[in-house]
Amino acid sequence: MASVADSTLAVRPRRKRGPVLHFIGRLFREKPLGAAGAVVFVLFLFCGIFADVLAPYGMNQISPINRLKPPSLQFPFGTDNLGRDMLSRCLYGAQLSVIIGFCAAGIATVISVVLGIVSGYLGGKFDLVLQRFVDAWMSFPDLIILIVVVSVVGPGMPQIIVTLGLLLGIAGSRIIRGAVVSVRENMYVHAAQSTGASTFRILWRHILPNVMAPVIVLFTTRVGTVILAESGLSFLGLGVPPPSPTWGGLLSGSGRTFMLQGPWLALAPGLCLTVVVYATNMFGDALRDLLDPRMRGSR
Amino acid sequence: MMQAYIIRRLLALIPTLFFASVIVFVTVRMIPGDIIDLMLSQNDIAAGKMGREQLEKALGLDQPMWLQYWRWVGAILFHGDFGKSLWQSTPVSEHLMARLPVTFELGAMALVVGLMVAIPIGVFSAVRQDTAGDYIARSFSILMLAVPSFWLGTMVMVFPSIWWGWSPPMQFVPFAKDPLANLGQMITPAIILGCALSAITMRLTRTMMLEVLRQDFIRTAWAKGLGEKLVVARHALRNALIPVVTLIGLQAPLLLGGAVIMEQIFVIPGMGLLLLDAVSQRDYPVITGVFLIVGVAVMFINLLVDLSYGLLDPKVRYR
Amino acid sequence: MLTRKWSRSLVAGVLGLALAGGAEAQQKPQYGGTLEVATMFATLSALSWDPYDWNWKLNHDTGEFYEQLVAGDLDKSIKKGGKYAYTIDAFLPPDAQRGELAEKWEITDKPLQVTFHLRKGVMFPDKPGVMKSREMTADDVVFSYERLRSSPKYISTYYDFVDKVEAKDKYTVVYTFKEYNAEWDYRLAWGFYSVVTPKEVVAAGANNWKNVNGTGPFMLTDFVQGNSNTYEKNPIYWDKEKLGGTEYKIPFVDKLVYRTIRDETTQLAALRTAKIDLLETINPRYLPELKKSAPDLVWSKRLTVLGSFMAMRNDVKPFDDVRVRRAMNLAINKKEIVSAHYGGEAELHAYPMHPDWTGYFDPLDKLPPAAKEMYEYDPAKAKKLLAEAGYPKGFTFTMEYCACSPDHVELAPLLAAYLEQVGVKAELKPMEYSAFLSAMTTKKHAAGYLMNSSHTNPTTSIRKSFVTGQTWNPALYSNAGFDATMDEVYRTPDETKRQKMLRELTTKIIEDAPYIWLPTQYVYAAWWPWVKNYNGELSVGSLRPGPIYARVWIDQELKKKMGR
Repeated sequence: MASVADSTLAVRPRRKRGPVLHFIGRLFREKPLGAAGAVVFVLFLFCGIFADVLAPYGMNQISPINRLKPPSLQFPFGTDNLGRDMLSRCLYGAQLSVIIGFCAAGIATVISVVLGIVSGYLGGKFDLVLQRFVDAWMSFPDLIILIVVVSVVGPGMPQIIVTLGLLLGIAGSRIIRGAVVSVRENMYVHAAQSTGASTFRILWRHILPNVMAPVIVLFTTRVGTVILAESGLSFLGLGVPPPSPTWGGLLSGSGRTFMLQGPWLALAPGLCLTVVVYATNMFGDALRDLLDPRMRGSR
Repeated sequence: MMQAYIIRRLLALIPTLFFASVIVFVTVRMIPGDIIDLMLSQNDIAAGKMGREQLEKALGLDQPMWLQYWRWVGAILFHGDFGKSLWQSTPVSEHLMARLPVTFELGAMALVVGLMVAIPIGVFSAVRQDTAGDYIARSFSILMLAVPSFWLGTMVMVFPSIWWGWSPPMQFVPFAKDPLANLGQMITPAIILGCALSAITMRLTRTMMLEVLRQDFIRTAWAKGLGEKLVVARHALRNALIPVVTLIGLQAPLLLGGAVIMEQIFVIPGMGLLLLDAVSQRDYPVITGVFLIVGVAVMFINLLVDLSYGLLDPKVRYR
Repeated sequence: MLTRKWSRSLVAGVLGLALAGGAEAQQKPQYGGTLEVATMFATLSALSWDPYDWNWKLNHDTGEFYEQLVAGDLDKSIKKGGKYAYTIDAFLPPDAQRGELAEKWEITDKPLQVTFHLRKGVMFPDKPGVMKSREMTADDVVFSYERLRSSPKYISTYYDFVDKVEAKDKYTVVYTFKEYNAEWDYRLAWGFYSVVTPKEVVAAGANNWKNVNGTGPFMLTDFVQGNSNTYEKNPIYWDKEKLGGTEYKIPFVDKLVYRTIRDETTQLAALRTAKIDLLETINPRYLPELKKSAPDLVWSKRLTVLGSFMAMRNDVKPFDDVRVRRAMNLAINKKEIVSAHYGGEAELHAYPMHPDWTGYFDPLDKLPPAAKEMYEYDPAKAKKLLAEAGYPKGFTFTMEYCACSPDHVELAPLLAAYLEQVGVKAELKPMEYSAFLSAMTTKKHAAGYLMNSSHTNPTTSIRKSFVTGQTWNPALYSNAGFDATMDEVYRTPDETKRQKMLRELTTKIIEDAPYIWLPTQYVYAAWWPWVKNYNGELSVGSLRPGPIYARVWIDQELKKKMGR
């Protein structure tokens, strides 16, 4: 897919960077905090994926003789009351957070996009009724729905992922729908419609690309939101149940119980949680600033 | 035009309420480990089948789902009757009446704290955009969001009690009886909750301020030589605050239901704890009552916010 | 002259010494003040105020105003030189019993009857809008019983042994039995449900806390559900407390408040800052820190009323084979669980019989070898038994436990780790409280079911857990001989004989190992030193602390001196 420009200017040395690299450059130059957030984000992803390799001990390696040892060379993050290594637990916690965060955010994004596009593009009565349903859904506080639903289907990772995904997805569809509605009246869309392009083609080629920006931003910040939500559920006893070492579970479980005898039990997962949520928010903010046309060029 | 807008919004509320009631009813009835089993297990003698049927009948759980739903909706709409707690045989509406004001109060206080924290930071951040000050302010705000509220609450509860022998007051006194004691208990969780909420508000305030600061009439004011502070305060702020009002609507769900964690740690008898207790005891009428009331309350707050927004910003009404 | 002065100062000196020494032991109680308690059920509010609901927690909240025929005798408590700690949830041996509303009672053989002679002059206080002050009579007792019996939530067969009840005269109640039942006093006089409620309260609505009115030491004046119960002194209460030779009217305190605090760290902070005077359940792991930050607290230690075990479904493979079950027990290092997991704060063998039940309890060293072995750690033998039973490579099973129990949440993986060493793989399945409980009552629970059960009393403890078909029999243990013996126990009036039979039943059940027997934890109670005449007692009946709190007094000067 060589561009016309390339062939005519073949003599001039090309200093063409891919759009992604260009974007990353902008990120680091214009939004240093967001860039830092992005780095942490990637690091978090890396730890999550390679936790099995990185962790020095098992996820649930009980060894009562080593209980409640402070951080040392052997156990960099100390051990908990059953003698399990906290560094390993936190790494596996990262894995769980990656899975829960990305899956739930993914489900949420898919739901948001589908609902938003369908509702926004089709409009009319269908849109009206669907939006009333979304209204109803959004009237319920997240935590309340979570409490009731998790009690219905029981504690467990898949249940929490699906529930959080559904919740955030339906709420997020509003934003996508807004973007779709504003694009719907676009000239290109009218042109495509008048030439008889299929609905699917129009959605795919015209609507969807214009909606990508909010989608990306939503996805990034959602990961942090999900991790935080799970920690709240853990505190109430409704999160992913132990011995799964989710950061929220570690913090609200052994972190709180042994807060005074073993502060490292709370510091380790707490810092991980805070840093990652912070990073996703900063990164998401930076993305929004860079991708959102309204903010572009604001100096 | 305004009347048409109000009427349209009210009409839109009806299907929403219907969907809400169905969501609530169906979700709650699907809870496994139903109340009969729980009640049976509390007694130390095996209940035969007769015992089980007796209980079901006594609790009205022996009828088909749709009939139960119809009865439930009918009772609420025509009699304001939310049923009776299955354990206590006391009217659910009594519990709701007792708890709702408490949650509202905590929510309102948290909202005020949130605004008091967020708006100055947001304005400051916008005016000093992309400077160190901006970054610090924004970081602080997001930090408030990133640290789980239960953790902050725990630390506030535990450490002062060890270091200074002080802890936030735990005796709940109704506002009418002793306003100062009541506020004294609520202020600590309100601050924690408010700070967590402030992140979102701050971001929006900053965005809106940036928008407004760029507009022509601001530049004109600057050109005229008006001091920066005056420009910011009089023109920018007033316009930027309009969407912040909508934020109250956005945060309403959080404030009405999301304070569960604060309620648990600071011993506040609000809707959140009522729900938690009811869920662990499978007290269906209470669960559905709380669920529904919270949803309806949020809807009405949003309605009010929308209406006021329509009043403030004329462009909206003609949508 | 000199002699007189000498002798006078001598007498003064001796008197002074006597007073000082005596003061320590017999301080004169003060009236007034408020007692704030986070009870052993501090996370749970009152479930019901009406005996008609047949709710297990009734006594705990209503015992301050509703009284029963019989209660525990606090003069026989340890603090007064007796031998009862009153920390068991529902056990009153005959010599610990004292008539509350009944002054005395006797049981006759032909006809098979129990006659209760009620106290005279016990008054219900005035309750505006409900009833005027009047005397409690036999009619009230009969009324309460009949009402209980007629409830749709009546536990079937509970009162089957009673033929009829009648008020012979104003102060005499006679229960006629169809047959002897060893639990007659528990079910009729000091059990979970048999409180005396006046008909006026029932007429006004007995489940509304605003209407309740009883003969007890306190009156319920406020109830904020999920937050607090407030009781105020009943000025015309009939009972007295003897301290230092003098009889005092009780209660001493003006107000008693139950604080419902769901969060453990908040409970501890409340205790540290003296927002509550007494915290009845403290996990031993918090002790070191509390002793440092609040060194003035007074402590008492007790075995928790809940015994833990992992039930194995006897009706499914492989747990239908007693060899497998015994192997499971041998695979667990219970001594290490006591030392490492509970930090030494646990008793190896304390369930299903409680060590305080003298005559019913056999300590570990007195058990026959087959039973004693169940508490030993022998993974080699476990593997041998498994191979013998046909599982040389072990097997896999699901272990359900309640996510609501912080102890079990940590215990389950620990057990799984031990079992893995003998080739048995446990798949852990945490469940939410209600789902967990209903799995058991509907008999749909998994092959492994980690739970705990309260001791109650010697007879009930064995019957409810091991008789065929009982709700609290998660192992689905069924043995006809066992059932028959249990039946006989109920029909045996001679206590010594019953004790022997129950001891034998206990030994048999330990050997048969329907459960993995697990250690029972110690828990602590702590209170501030200004709480007097209290030594960690919890219940003088079935989960009934009312009379205990009625005898507590607050040393207000001491409280002020300590800066509260």
